[in-house]
Amino acid sequence: MATISFDLVSPENLIFNDEVGMIIVPGKDGDFGVLPGHSKVMSSLRPGRVMVYGEDKNLLKAFFVSGGFAEVNPEKCIVLAESVDEINELEKATIEKEIQELEGQESDTTKEELSIAKAKIDALGSDFYQKI
Amino acid sequence: MPSLKDIKTQINSVVSTKKITTAMKMVAASKLRRSQEKAVAARPYSSRLEEMLSSLASSAASGEGIIKLLTGTGNDQNYMIVPVSADRGLCGGFNSSINRETFKLVKSLEQDGKNVQLMPVGKKSRDFFNRVMKDQIAESFIDLNVSNSGYDSALQVSNKLQDLYFNGKFDKCILVFNKFVSAISQDVTQQQLIPLDVSESSKEVKEDNNDAKAIYDYEPDEETILKDLLPKNVSIQIFKVLLESDAGEHGARMAAMDNATRNAGEMIDGLTLKYNRTRQAFITKELIEIISGAESI
Repeated sequence: MATISFDLVSPENLIFNDEVGMIIVPGKDGDFGVLPGHSKVMSSLRPGRVMVYGEDKNLLKAFFVSGGFAEVNPEKCIVLAESVDEINELEKATIEKEIQELEGQESDTTKEELSIAKAKIDALGSDFYQKI
Repeated sequence: MPSLKDIKTQINSVVSTKKITTAMKMVAASKLRRSQEKAVAARPYSSRLEEMLSSLASSAASGEGIIKLLTGTGNDQNYMIVPVSADRGLCGGFNSSINRETFKLVKSLEQDGKNVQLMPVGKKSRDFFNRVMKDQIAESFIDLNVSNSGYDSALQVSNKLQDLYFNGKFDKCILVFNKFVSAISQDVTQQQLIPLDVSESSKEVKEDNNDAKAIYDYEPDEETILKDLLPKNVSIQIFKVLLESDAGEHGARMAAMDNATRNAGEMIDGLTLKYNRTRQAFITKELIEIISGAESI
């Protein structure tokens, strides 16, 4: 089966760069899967999970991104993310603590952080896309 | 004529200075390597972002709101200058060249009748402009420490800038910073940050994928993406500049300390020579005294 090259980039470094079988990206209007030969799309992202699959559709890696952009063309998929965490490395307790601290604060930035933290919890709890 | 003891003390003090400068040089060298790595690691993101932006920029007409980051306010009266310097000294002409260049820029803009505000980044430029044009400083940032706190430090600056921009405090923003050329040379560079100057990068893209770029699907739509992309681009540009300046600072300090070490070495050689000569002169004098004393008996 064909592969598509996938780059996951954060402002600080290049996190993932390899040939993969499929990627699921959390687009602003809903998740979308990218297979080799995908038509050209440019999309902004909402906070959510980026799932990376190998050629035989086994899950290689799962990341959490806090928003950003994706650019897709038939040979390549590039995700520019603001901040990236590997899902396995997230700890539920610390995020819950963060949510508690953020709740009750009124400014726009903390509200944004709060929604990102909540999305993190959702991402940890959900097992969608684990197997396809 | 200085006594032997005086010269010895002098030599000792220069020797310890030399030890310090050697140590500082080594520290700067290792920090330089680290910040260079960081600057290289940040490159893929900013170059991809620029690519995306330039293919989108052509589709943006004039507009209100965030699009103003691209199209400008339509005015050319109020300027915001952001000099980016280091927090510490002892790095040669690194900080003073930034301050000098910014000062010149401000003066020439003022001669054209523009209003200029300043937003110094780094202790050294803040202190300088606090002395010479205190009332024009809108905000200042110190101890950003970009090599440790990373992207967040750039966000601080970027958020403040955009806040001021959308409140109509200025029409154009220019960054003055040291561009990292190599470990021993930095170029003082001016870069227009707001409104975004896409003319150069977009031209290249237009040439090589003139027909390919129209085919993109946009999700949700071009304007929404552009609205997300533009503020992010400002932050990324600032991040890039902070990293370059950080690498440049360590490079400059390394070069300055290398010079200082060499000068100290020369000074020690000179002083040692003087010490030996003086000692020889004393011995000769004492011998003459003994001999002439013996002769007179």
